[in-house]
Amino acid sequence: MIEKGKISSLQMAILMYPTILATAILLVPAITARHAERDMWLSPIWASLIGFLTVYIAYRLNRIYPKETIIEYGEHILGRISGKAIGLVFLFFYLHTSGIILREYGEFINGKFLLRTPMIVTIGSMMLVTAFAVRSGVEVLGRISQIFVPINILLLVLLNLLLFPELKTKHMLPVMEKGIMPSVMGAVTPQSWFSEFFLASFLYPFLTDREKGMKWGMISVLAVMLTMVVTNIFTLLLFGEITASLTFPVMESSRYISIADFLEHIEAVVMAIWVTGTFLKISVFYYALSLGTAQWLNLSDYRPVVLPLGFLLVVFSIWSAPNLSELSHFLGTSCSFYLSSVQTGIPVFLLLIATLRKGKRSGMEGRKR
Amino acid sequence: MKWGAILGVTLIAGLMALYEWPKIGQNQKREKVVFVTLTAMGWVLAVLLVFFPDIPGPTQLIDAIFKPLGQILEK
Repeated sequence: MIEKGKISSLQMAILMYPTILATAILLVPAITARHAERDMWLSPIWASLIGFLTVYIAYRLNRIYPKETIIEYGEHILGRISGKAIGLVFLFFYLHTSGIILREYGEFINGKFLLRTPMIVTIGSMMLVTAFAVRSGVEVLGRISQIFVPINILLLVLLNLLLFPELKTKHMLPVMEKGIMPSVMGAVTPQSWFSEFFLASFLYPFLTDREKGMKWGMISVLAVMLTMVVTNIFTLLLFGEITASLTFPVMESSRYISIADFLEHIEAVVMAIWVTGTFLKISVFYYALSLGTAQWLNLSDYRPVVLPLGFLLVVFSIWSAPNLSELSHFLGTSCSFYLSSVQTGIPVFLLLIATLRKGKRSGMEGRKR
Repeated sequence: MKWGAILGVTLIAGLMALYEWPKIGQNQKREKVVFVTLTAMGWVLAVLLVFFPDIPGPTQLIDAIFKPLGQILEK
């Protein structure tokens, strides 16, 4: 096996939490609000169904092939050539999405904080840091997440508590005025983020306690869902109808915090949450990409491909979109279907074939006896 | 300006090779080939993007494939 490190399933759950959430509270609340309006806090609940499904599928596939990732068992399930093709689709997919995530990060930092820095510098420096984290292996990623994520959650809770005086419940009413459909339509974009839970399948082979993998995966989905519901409720109660026209609603909400004319300008806290969160998010994507590439090419080590892939990722992040509004439009339309069809659709298909084949094989053995 | 960007890209590729090359084992031929190929791919793409920033990318490809579904969410 290429990776020798081991993590516990609790560490996996902690690692997956920022992997989904980091960018999900950046652009997504505005996209959700555009469709769901006052019901935007319901959307993450529908969306999380895809998350639960994806974790279940990743776990079932891992049960059949315990020591392998999708790049390897794709070949076992579909045969050599089509398996390699599926592997290439996944590698291209992770290259492209990681590029988009890097771009979102760069747009956020350059649009809100470092206004005069060239974007290539913000993106490139982030890439360099994640490259060193990824080179160190999965154990290091697990431990980084154990340090960062509790602080992140604490800061997020603090931020929401400080917003309390500004909230107005009248923005939320009436609940489900036009039936259930607007909130379901609003769920289409967040569900693509939940489908990213398939990245857990790249971590499952390295778990020390694999039987708990599904339990902690589900807990992680639940935690992400609750956090998204809470942030959506807070932005809704604060802004009401205008949430849809903001680009970074959670960011804007932090500007409202003003306690006794003393505690103001909390944006730096929001930035801290996002920089650490996106750092972990990019690391996990980048890790899956490097490990997958090494397995696809049958290399003995994944470390040599880390830096060249990082270089490619920076190029892809510049290439992926001309500007933020087009990126946001892409994320709100085609991208939603793209993410979930690759990360949930293909695995469902693979699991179906694997179970059918397994059933056929055991049936034949039964007849022989 | 453009030549400066190309110089920068080449410099980064060179630094990467300087850092990584001694770490790849003597008899890891495959790894060396992969490293050179991936770096070359990145370099060519970067140079292309410096001269023609508007060449259609992967996002346009995906957009073309998923457009019929994506139109449901157009608003």
